[in-house]
Amino acid sequence: MESRATTSRTDGRSPSSPLWRLVPLVQRHKWRFWGGMSLINTGRLLEAVMPLYLKMGIDRIAAGDTRLALPALAILGLMVLRYIAFNIGRRLVREVGVNAAYELRQRLYWHLELQGPLFFSKFTTGDLMARAINDITLIRQLIGMGTRLLFVLGFSGIVAFLFMFYQSPSLTLALLPALPVFAIIGWLIARRIFDQSTLVQEGFSALSAQVQENLNGIRTIQTHAQEDRETERFEATSDHYAGNYYKLMFLNSGLTSAMLVATGFTTLMVVGYGGMQVLEGTLTLGTFTAFIFYLNMMLAPIREGGIMITLFQRGGSAAARIFEILDHEPEIRDAPDATPLEGIGGALTINHLSYTHPAQKGEGWPALKDVSLEIGKGEMIALLGRVGSGKSTLLRLIVRLLDPPPGTIYLDGRDIRMLPVTQVRSQIAMVPQDPFLFATHIAQNISYDNPERATDDVWRAAESADLETTIRRFPDRLETIVGERGVTLSGGQKQRASLARGLIRETPVLLLDDCFSSVDTETEEFILSRLKSLRHGHTTIMVSHRVSTARHADRIVVLDEGRIAETGSHAELLARDGLYAALERQQGRREELERALEKDVGDDT
Amino acid sequence: MSETAAGKRRNYAAFDDEIETRGFDFGLVVRLLKWMRPYRRQGFMAIAFVLLAASAAVLAPVVVSRVVVDGILLPTSDAGAPDFGQKALNSFLATSFDLHPLFSACLLFGLWTVLWAFFGHGFRTMLARTVLHALRDLRRDLFAHLEKLPSSFYDRVAVGRVMTRLTNDIETLFELLAGFGVLLGEFVPFFAAVSVMMALNPTLTLELLVLLPVAAVATWIFRVVSRQVYRNIRSSMSRLNENLQENLSGIEVVQLYGRERINFERYNAINEENRQQENLAVRIESYYGPSMDSMAFLAIAAIVWFGGQHVLSGVATLGSVILFAQFADMMFRPIVAMGEQWNVVFRAMASCERIFQALDWDEALEVPKETRSLPDDVEGRVTFNHLTFGYTPGTTILKDVSFEIRPGERVAIVGPTGSGKTSLVRLLCRFYDVPRNSILIDGVDIMDVEPAEIRKRVGVVLQDFHIFSGTVYDNITLGNPAVTREAAREAARLVHADPFIRMLPQGYDTVLTERGRNLSHGQRQLLAFARVLAMNPDILILDEATASIDTETELIIQDALSKVTEGRTSIIIAHRLQTIREADRIVVLADGEVREFGSHQELMARGGLYKTLYELQVQDTAGR
Repeated sequence: MESRATTSRTDGRSPSSPLWRLVPLVQRHKWRFWGGMSLINTGRLLEAVMPLYLKMGIDRIAAGDTRLALPALAILGLMVLRYIAFNIGRRLVREVGVNAAYELRQRLYWHLELQGPLFFSKFTTGDLMARAINDITLIRQLIGMGTRLLFVLGFSGIVAFLFMFYQSPSLTLALLPALPVFAIIGWLIARRIFDQSTLVQEGFSALSAQVQENLNGIRTIQTHAQEDRETERFEATSDHYAGNYYKLMFLNSGLTSAMLVATGFTTLMVVGYGGMQVLEGTLTLGTFTAFIFYLNMMLAPIREGGIMITLFQRGGSAAARIFEILDHEPEIRDAPDATPLEGIGGALTINHLSYTHPAQKGEGWPALKDVSLEIGKGEMIALLGRVGSGKSTLLRLIVRLLDPPPGTIYLDGRDIRMLPVTQVRSQIAMVPQDPFLFATHIAQNISYDNPERATDDVWRAAESADLETTIRRFPDRLETIVGERGVTLSGGQKQRASLARGLIRETPVLLLDDCFSSVDTETEEFILSRLKSLRHGHTTIMVSHRVSTARHADRIVVLDEGRIAETGSHAELLARDGLYAALERQQGRREELERALEKDVGDDT
Repeated sequence: MSETAAGKRRNYAAFDDEIETRGFDFGLVVRLLKWMRPYRRQGFMAIAFVLLAASAAVLAPVVVSRVVVDGILLPTSDAGAPDFGQKALNSFLATSFDLHPLFSACLLFGLWTVLWAFFGHGFRTMLARTVLHALRDLRRDLFAHLEKLPSSFYDRVAVGRVMTRLTNDIETLFELLAGFGVLLGEFVPFFAAVSVMMALNPTLTLELLVLLPVAAVATWIFRVVSRQVYRNIRSSMSRLNENLQENLSGIEVVQLYGRERINFERYNAINEENRQQENLAVRIESYYGPSMDSMAFLAIAAIVWFGGQHVLSGVATLGSVILFAQFADMMFRPIVAMGEQWNVVFRAMASCERIFQALDWDEALEVPKETRSLPDDVEGRVTFNHLTFGYTPGTTILKDVSFEIRPGERVAIVGPTGSGKTSLVRLLCRFYDVPRNSILIDGVDIMDVEPAEIRKRVGVVLQDFHIFSGTVYDNITLGNPAVTREAAREAARLVHADPFIRMLPQGYDTVLTERGRNLSHGQRQLLAFARVLAMNPDILILDEATASIDTETELIIQDALSKVTEGRTSIIIAHRLQTIREADRIVVLADGEVREFGSHQELMARGGLYKTLYELQVQDTAGR
């Protein structure tokens, strides 16, 4: 994979400057890049030759010479050559920029696929999206356009200067002192433009944030009848933004005008000083005209220097933001000596497992304390406990969404940290608490781990999760698109789809993280009884806070504040009259009430 | 009745539709002009400036060619062509300041250049001012409109869909209007230059103008060819972004199901498609871009050839040939600029349509022309009178609800999830239209009263209250100047929020992050209480938090609650035993109907639904 090869390449250079780290992206296409650059510069050189023929033409006209075909045709010829050089040159350089964007996107995506929960708590989706969209575009512009401006403008300035000097050293030297002054003025304005455009961007973000927050809190605002005041507040933000934008436009326009005056001033010197020389007969009228053309060419770097500076500054900070992500080592990686295990049975051993969630700063919060548990192949275990008792954390550790300490979790006698992560996750299926569905067909959602699965298998999994009748009711059956642009499923339907997605894999170990919470009791009973026969001989662990779910398990483990409070079968735990028994009593009453209410309502309708 | 309450059926899905870029719509632009009207003075000034700038821009080269070249450097070649008074002006300058005519010509040239720069700057800034102000106003109007849209709108339309209209779409309009300015800035000098050229040498001018259609056709071909490519690029970009977004949102499932490789390959297939389209666009642009610069070269070659002939045959002066050469560049810029604005125009049309779609959305609460106002000192009698309600026609959430709350009474509403408790209080706050005479405050039908007035009298803390980013103080006053700092503190003290607020780093001036993530749930709840209390409403509605809060905070909230409701008509959606017990009377809702209504003792004696609910609560509390 190309993306793999590049990761090792970036580290040679000074890590402090993100701009240097973009060099390899260009170097990979060095022929294209430098070839394009030389062609563009050749084009500039041809451009510089043009005024010489203009000069020839004018001198010949002034002298009454009728041989005008040569200068006219020479200018035409130069035009054609310049066109070819620019056409190919620009294309080559810009393609390097496009490729850099392509490669960065590829690397970024793959890199994100490997990141763990700590990374995603640090970078929000919105933040990552902004980097992937805006920052990569900025880098593309820097490589495709910024570099071209840097090399070409510098080159043009020098070439124009040399041509002018060759034509008339005295006139050129007379102009020379003015140039640094223009450059400094231009640079100062360009810097202010950069600062101001940062303000404008920040203003836009503030505006967007205010709009978003306001619309999200619209009910609170309307409740307190604060619409008018909010509008006033928004108007202030919007006005501030418009003000800053105006300043930016003012500066931009000012730069244009300043450069116009600068060009005018130098032209004026050519007209005055050069005109005297023409009158004295030391300069021809043609040279005089050619000079005015060269002046324009020489001032171009100053005129467009501002754009260039902006491109480099923006590109530099964009590169820094991209590399900040790319430098983030994945939290969960294969151990160097990890080897896959042949034929997994599904016995799990948890051995004095303690786990503390790491925090961004300061102390983390402990989730599990000294948990030891032996789960035989084919056992069905229920994990019960209150919110925050560590049930989900335990499941996430088993499937290595979180990294357990070494020597605490064993699969078939092997420390799971010594297994490749891909094997752990392919042998242990987990149905997460949040039933996230992708905006695609139901079938593709259910056979998510392997899109090639047979339709029969999909139907069977849907049936096991009691989703079959629901799907049959959709006009497009399994091809029904779910999500924002398709059918919106209810919470319970989503949970069942998510469950089907896990069941279809028929893995030696199945972990269910509280996936019946939005499913009504009756359906749950149905699914659980099927699950029992389906998972016969395979290990299953289900997290729940409902006693009615736990009852179905061979063994129930009650977690309390990160410790195992009690284990045993339903009957054993009831007999113990501990935490489980208390939960059972409480929930039993609730179910009774729910039934009473349902009946009550049923009577009325 | 319920038909009118739910209003006419509206096509909310229209907000989700992609508005495809359509052709240029003059009507939309005319409508935009409405917002420019207040700034028309600046707009006209901008136009005056651009005319002045263009004149100066043309006169400067005239000085070089006609005055310097034809008048001073090669005086013999003057063929009596027009010089727009520049020669006379120059000799006037030369004689009055006793200068060599060459130097006075330099001064004149300098003067025109400075004026050109000055007026050009004036034009660009005036234009920016006009456009920015107009769009600022449009933005405000749209925002104000959105603020007033009723809950029924926000129930159905995603906030994101509305938001982009206020942000990105208006930015696109800025590009469009600023683009018109750019065109003006290119076209006016172009016409000025062409007029001067025509005056000097019509034949040569016409010979050069032949090149214009060539450039125009080249630009047109470029736009036609590249349009589809750009569309493909946009489409592949948005698919790339959607893919990444979905992948990030579902990253856990992706990793659990080992889909990293497949997803990566799918993403990369789009990435590859994008690269190919981008490269295609680069190729097309590389054919077009340099061809436009080449036009200037072509023009210069033509000037040397044709112009030379004219000079040699004595029809033109050398100075005018030099002038033409200087104008060569100016000739093609309007066409290039027009080509650049092309894409913007189409995008802007779609933006325009989206903005006006939102602005024209006329959904509003039914308010009679002649509104009644509530009495100055509202007693607080709330009457529900055979209230039947559904959010959409054909559905019912509340069925024939009737009960009356006496002034100053504390009423608890209990019932299972989905029984219509929240709907009931949202209706009382007048978030929706209700059938006439079904809800009355002090005997006044709330449908006859301005909704804002009701919301000032009826304070409500719902479960989904919002903490705004801003200081604690701002969050209590919500920017309402009627609430003084002292009143805010007093309100906070009353609900026991004061101690924790003072513990915050900057006390009342501590800036809270969006949605108050730096506060605990209990603290947020107290803040919401304080906010309502600061309004000093006549009727108070509270939706008790169901989320788990530690016992200590719960006790504080409980106490705050009793203080807040003291002597005030209050309706509390109750989840806690203590709250229910403290209520004067209790309404039991189930499936949208009032099942039981009465005091604790009465309802316990009845032995119905309330008794079961109550006992369950007792058990829950004991089990905790």
